[in-house]
Amino acid sequence: MKKNEEILKKKRKGSGKPEHELDMSLLTPEQQEFLKREEKIDRINERMNRPVIGITYICAFLFVGLISYILHFMIVEKDQVISNAANTRLDRYAANVIRGDIMTSDGKKIATNRNGSRYYPYGKLFAHVAGYSDYSKAGIELVGNYYLLESHANPFERMVHTLREEKNMGDTVISTLNYELQEAAYDAMSGADGAVVAMEPDTGKILAMVSKPDFDPNDIDEVWKEANTNPDSSMLLNRASQGLYPPGSTFKLLTTLSFMRQKPFGFMTYSYDCEKKEEIFNGVSVHCYGRKTHGEEDLSLALANSCNQAYADIGTKLNVRKWRETMEEFLFNKSLPYTDASAVSRFLLDAKSDKGYIPQTAFGQGDTLISPLHNAMITATIANGGLMMKPYLIDSVENYKGSRIRKFSPSSYDTLMTSKEVEILTSYMRRVVTEGTAAPYFSGAEYEAAGKTGTAEYENGAHDYSWFVGFASLEQPEIVVSVIVEQSDVNGVKASAVARRIFDTYYSLEGH
Amino acid sequence: MASIIINVSKYFILILMLLYTLTCFTIYQKGNEKKREWKLNRQIVYVFLIHFLSYMTLALSYEDRMTEIVVFYGVQILVATIYMYLYHFIYPYSSRLITNNMCFLLLIGYTMLARLDFSMAKKQFIIATAAMVLVAVIPYIMERFRNLRNYGIIYGVVGIIALSSVFVIGVEQYGSVNWISLFGITLQPSEFVKVLFAFFVASMLSKSRSFKQVVVTTGFAGVHMMILVLEKDLGAALIFFVIFICMIYVGTGKIQYVAVFLAGGTAMAGLAFLLFKERLFNHVLVRVNVWKNPWADISGDGYQITQSLFAIGSGGYFGTGLTKGSPKLIPVCESDFIFSAISEEFGVLFALALILVCFSSFICFVNIALKVRSRFYKTLAFGFAVCYSFQAFLSIGGVTKFIPSTGVTIPLVSYGGSSVLSSLIMFSIMQGISTIENKEAKKIEEERRNLEEEAQRLREA
Repeated sequence: MKKNEEILKKKRKGSGKPEHELDMSLLTPEQQEFLKREEKIDRINERMNRPVIGITYICAFLFVGLISYILHFMIVEKDQVISNAANTRLDRYAANVIRGDIMTSDGKKIATNRNGSRYYPYGKLFAHVAGYSDYSKAGIELVGNYYLLESHANPFERMVHTLREEKNMGDTVISTLNYELQEAAYDAMSGADGAVVAMEPDTGKILAMVSKPDFDPNDIDEVWKEANTNPDSSMLLNRASQGLYPPGSTFKLLTTLSFMRQKPFGFMTYSYDCEKKEEIFNGVSVHCYGRKTHGEEDLSLALANSCNQAYADIGTKLNVRKWRETMEEFLFNKSLPYTDASAVSRFLLDAKSDKGYIPQTAFGQGDTLISPLHNAMITATIANGGLMMKPYLIDSVENYKGSRIRKFSPSSYDTLMTSKEVEILTSYMRRVVTEGTAAPYFSGAEYEAAGKTGTAEYENGAHDYSWFVGFASLEQPEIVVSVIVEQSDVNGVKASAVARRIFDTYYSLEGH
Repeated sequence: MASIIINVSKYFILILMLLYTLTCFTIYQKGNEKKREWKLNRQIVYVFLIHFLSYMTLALSYEDRMTEIVVFYGVQILVATIYMYLYHFIYPYSSRLITNNMCFLLLIGYTMLARLDFSMAKKQFIIATAAMVLVAVIPYIMERFRNLRNYGIIYGVVGIIALSSVFVIGVEQYGSVNWISLFGITLQPSEFVKVLFAFFVASMLSKSRSFKQVVVTTGFAGVHMMILVLEKDLGAALIFFVIFICMIYVGTGKIQYVAVFLAGGTAMAGLAFLLFKERLFNHVLVRVNVWKNPWADISGDGYQITQSLFAIGSGGYFGTGLTKGSPKLIPVCESDFIFSAISEEFGVLFALALILVCFSSFICFVNIALKVRSRFYKTLAFGFAVCYSFQAFLSIGGVTKFIPSTGVTIPLVSYGGSSVLSSLIMFSIMQGISTIENKEAKKIEEERRNLEEEAQRLREA
């Protein structure tokens, strides 16, 4: 009896045939009929269940996918997502955590707390790049906000604090900035407005970032009031990443590159005779800086002399559509792969544009605008053999006792140049420094630098922007500098001189 | 002191949630009936404790409305406990795990809503409680009326009329015209037609599986989906399409149909997209673009999904604790985005367990579909199983940026009268099928046992 029950149960569960068949011979024909019918229905049922089981597996697969995705999000993407400046939830953490410190890579504390409020020991020196955290947030205070408000103090200590309803000490953000370089850049810019970016070409680490006019973040109350009442005040703007300037002659590097790409055989034999003070290209009159004439030049010498006429001539030989494509590859009209706020550089020329814009655009005037950071990135790409690295400001995070919590590694954006192109551009840039426009500023340097100067006129030629982009050393590029000085005709500060001072400081640092 | 209690109860809630979820699956382990009953009773205890700790947190956080919260808590737990025991008493053949899951999901919904917007929570509770009383008769009706499978065309026609009603008496909400206003109540017809649609397909295929029948069924189904597309309710259209394909496959057993419909559906969707890109599918493009890169426009189109991701990420694995997060920064956090709100405050681990509870309900549905031997009920039960799981998947996948957002709610958890009512109807019909199936099984078993006894007697004689 018991056994039969088990057999029947097994049958109901549909788990295959029962081990022992019922003794059919003892049943009446109707009873046998009944059992046979039941068995048949079971078989049909099993067949009907096949699609059900199949689709159930698909659904299970979808749910597993969903759960794995959420876990992936939490493990891999979460930190980057929630450290986004638009995440206002972070401010809530401030209720339980004392905001951590910000340090330079050489151990100087550049933001900390004093008497319950934020304190910046070096005041104006790190104004824009360290940023501020009251009213609004900017700089490292913004991009590192998440880490500054996280506490990795020891768990027991944290538990005690939580139970006592006391705040925990936030983590320390170690920036990529170097105090000495920042100071050198800041001092070299004294008396001038403009911006400086120094970075490592092979990692993208930003070593120094200066923007002027500046402000003292310790007086953020007054600064904020001033910035919001005076519409002309732009001191809160970080010109290094958010300022847009005409690239002037530094743009000739990219024009040269486009020319090399479009005329792979022609550029080697290119020559231009700069004999007149003025020449007409596409109906527009072009003259060189200071109305100089340069005589017969090949491409390399034209770049070293920064000859506007030769570049206007090159511009007329370029296919505008392809030229624009190359510029967009180099991140014009695109946002930069950078965590802090940055401006989008622009290159407006296209196949439909008036031909009259071409000559000016070729030598960096016209409608083209670029941020100093972007120009540094382009130069770094040349210095790094064609591979563009993403610039970054935070090197690592430590808990307040100094144990490392996380380390940020360099990440690349894309390979934008071939090694051949890099080689040629580097040799041209070297010539700029040895015998061209930058030569007077680099005599007697203990290292070999390469670069490009630029002078861009603005306000209808009333004032000059002075540019320098370049790197050192030639053999082993370790540092890239991008400098813009506003009104250099008035304040007398030359971008090349600022760059020289930064390079000198870099090579005087320990380890060099 | 209060903050410590809130902090500690956060972890207890998580542990209890994990235990509940675990029980949802260990219940299938081999063991005697008593042990199963014991596990199901234990689940009720977990639900009771989670709910208690949550409301304690709410009461401590909003001290000014403590009385209101305590009263609301009392009424809820009373209704849920009575329901969980009484339902089993009235319908001993119903699935207790489904009842537990149903009440638990509703309670999680009420709790989160009470934290987000107390008046919404009350409204949801009143609608759901009234609905629970109403739908309690469904299994009884289903047992009485065994000819539900005879009305195939009628289900289809009624469904089409109900869906079309929005063109006559429709009102616009959240940018889609898929709501109607009847006697001052706004309803979303597609929620109810979903149920009718499953009945329609199941009864059509139980009558005949001929090619002609499939064509007719497809024709009706196509009209349903076309109306939904015209209403710009593409989430619903997608759900109907998936239910339809799965039911056709189960009803006919032919995978060829699945291939044809998948190809045909994709082609139709592609064609419609090309023809009516501007008029009907603009918001689809927006949603897909937002899904691909919500960070491009954080303050505009990408606002909702980025806020949702901020909520989930900032809450972390253990959550901020109830009332300690900022879920209200997410627009529509009460309905479509309730998962993100739950995840932020109860934690990602709790939210993942919630997904597993939804999955457990799906498995219950599938089990019923597997056991029931009538083609009609089998197809119907599986249609509901797919409908339920796919809807939960679309909703949760959408707010976590796994898939583009479709504006679908999580059944029973999200705020929304129509959604809750139609989900409750679906759960009750499943209980009805479970009851019918279990009774039938018992009858057959008894018959066999009689045969056995008779055979035994004969042998002895």
